[in-house]
Amino acid sequence: MATYVDRYPDEAGVVKATFAVAFAALGVGALFGLVQALHRTGYLRVIDSTDYYTVLTGHGVLLALVFTIFFLLGLFTWAITRSLERPLPNIKLTWAWFGLTTTGAVFAAVAIVAGLFPSLDMSADVLYTFYAPLQAHPLFYVGLAMFIIGTWIAGVDWFLAYREWRADNPDERIPLQAFMVLTTTLMWYLSTLGVAVSVVVFLIPWSLGFIDTVNPLLTRTLFWYFGHPVVYFWLMPAYMMWYTVLPKLAGGRLFSDPLARVVFVLFLLLSTPVGIHHQYLDPGIAEGFKFIAMTNTMFLLLPSLLTAFTVVASMEHGARQRGGEGYLSWLGALPWRDPAFTGMALAGIMFAAGGFSGMINAGMNINYLVHNTLWVPGHFHLTVGTAVALTMMAGSYWLVPQLTGRRLYSRPIALFQVVLWFVGMVFMSNAMHRAGLLGIPRRTAEPQYQSFDFSATVGSVSELRIQMAVGATLLFVSVVLFLFNVLLSAIEDPIEMPVDDSLPAPLSGADGSPVVLDNLRLWTAIAVVLVVLAYSLPLASIVTDGGLFGESGAFPVFVDAVYRVAGVVA
Amino acid sequence: MAIETETDSSSGRDPERPKGYVVGSAPADAERELSHDEFDPVGTLTVILVYFLILVGMWVFMYFVEFLGNELTVVG
Ligand code: HEM
Ligand SMILES: [Cu+2]
Repeated sequence: MATYVDRYPDEAGVVKATFAVAFAALGVGALFGLVQALHRTGYLRVIDSTDYYTVLTGHGVLLALVFTIFFLLGLFTWAITRSLERPLPNIKLTWAWFGLTTTGAVFAAVAIVAGLFPSLDMSADVLYTFYAPLQAHPLFYVGLAMFIIGTWIAGVDWFLAYREWRADNPDERIPLQAFMVLTTTLMWYLSTLGVAVSVVVFLIPWSLGFIDTVNPLLTRTLFWYFGHPVVYFWLMPAYMMWYTVLPKLAGGRLFSDPLARVVFVLFLLLSTPVGIHHQYLDPGIAEGFKFIAMTNTMFLLLPSLLTAFTVVASMEHGARQRGGEGYLSWLGALPWRDPAFTGMALAGIMFAAGGFSGMINAGMNINYLVHNTLWVPGHFHLTVGTAVALTMMAGSYWLVPQLTGRRLYSRPIALFQVVLWFVGMVFMSNAMHRAGLLGIPRRTAEPQYQSFDFSATVGSVSELRIQMAVGATLLFVSVVLFLFNVLLSAIEDPIEMPVDDSLPAPLSGADGSPVVLDNLRLWTAIAVVLVVLAYSLPLASIVTDGGLFGESGAFPVFVDAVYRVAGVVA
Repeated sequence: MAIETETDSSSGRDPERPKGYVVGSAPADAERELSHDEFDPVGTLTVILVYFLILVGMWVFMYFVEFLGNELTVVG
């Protein structure tokens, strides 16, 4: 009976390192979050309003990109070794991608934070969406490129492990966690292609002065080509824990392994061809393309609803095994004193609420009501900010002991911490959603206009401001408690069994399900076709209108050809 | 050094199971084993129905407060 660190000490080292980067980003990002929430509500102003974008960029990049993706890198490394039951083929390669991603992330962070020091003459106030016309110091884009390439190598690392496993087990079904890692990685390759082209071909040469202009709509579209799927790289680690860890914590077993596979395949197929739904208000993209993106988006609700069913059913299975009865009273039989369980369950509840505001965002007409208002951060603080971030923190209470061989420092503090996050987010996101409905804009230090008052139908604007500030403060305290607890756990004395890390088999296993589910080549091919269908015409028309490099109108021949082909096909 | 050491949920019926202060030790006090066929997720159905009702309620609320209660928010 040994835990993960005893079986895979080298891999445990890498996973610990990725988690350390993730948690450092979480700490700094949360501090920035508090600063900006207090600033824009007017309660405490420690920065100049002109520095607001610097702080907001730091917040967005460190939390939405660095914290989440580094956690993913660690979790997937853990999952692939654990579920294939073999170490990674070449630990030097593993450390190499860790080094590259970390250096890239540090470069980007340095470029952002330098903006707070005018003497440094370096800044990257381009927000986490980093498209033109906002321009950053080249170091920021170079850091991003290194980071992306590092993640590609991580994917190679996991696929190499899979190939070795396949050679030894030619006829077996891919273990569930490995299946999740591989499908998510394929999705990542497909979607980061867009952002990599944007950064390497356009933004780096532009920031270095090699080219004078870029086509802003093109960089926006390439960003959102990646910017929607990236929400699934936030979510997939959380889904992996909900599917494979949460049922166990609840005292039961996963309801259905095939259903979980179907969900991940659906995400691979559907998550990239929808990015244009972030551009409903962009001029220069025809309404028809936007409408197609909206329809695809509605299909994406399907895997989320399947997940809701499977995960709740698995929890219910646990509750009933532990003596739960009735239609709703079984909920009381769940292990609410286990912080890992409670954190994930609360995260799931918040995700259900985020589903509601997400459906509003997705609708083309109703999106106009909330576009670029505080509603939008209200929405994604429920999804990435809670469903994902809280699941990652809660999951850490279960994962970190496996990685260190030491027990958790304090379970009561952990329990308090996850509940505090939930309460803080109820305040903050409720206030953000409602403020958005009043038309209060996002991304601004001074969300008020001269001789114009926002008026609330229910409650008042100052009440919303207080809620936001109180919520933000609770959230920040929660992060501090989390970091404190994890840090102290790391210096505990090692013990033999720090955590119960066994995972029970699903109620309904993979054996009976169609083998085609494991055909990764097929799903990738279909995903590529869908992307080509969704994006080739919009991209062609964007380049035709604005030129590949902005004003210049370069490469019309290519685009004419695309149009001619399209004309023939239609 | 941990500030709490007592056993909470691991009853120690299974000698392979970690004892003492652990996260994730819920199944130790399972009262019964439910197989796939014995398990009928009515609770899940109930929870999803409740969620669905909340969604419908919120839509109706949106309609009255946001559309009937306000001037046009976006013009042209
Ligand atoms: C201490 C916890 C947090 C606080 C107090 C906080 C606060 C805020 C506030 C007030 C804004 C809106 C700023 C504006 O539009 O003017 C914001 C934006 C944002 N937050 Fe958070 N947040 C927290 C945690 C998180 C987490 C955990 C994530 C993701 C993992 C996250 C991701 C973002 C992103 C992506 C933005 C948008 C940045 C942009 O508009 O470019 N936040 N946050
Ligand atoms: Cu999206």
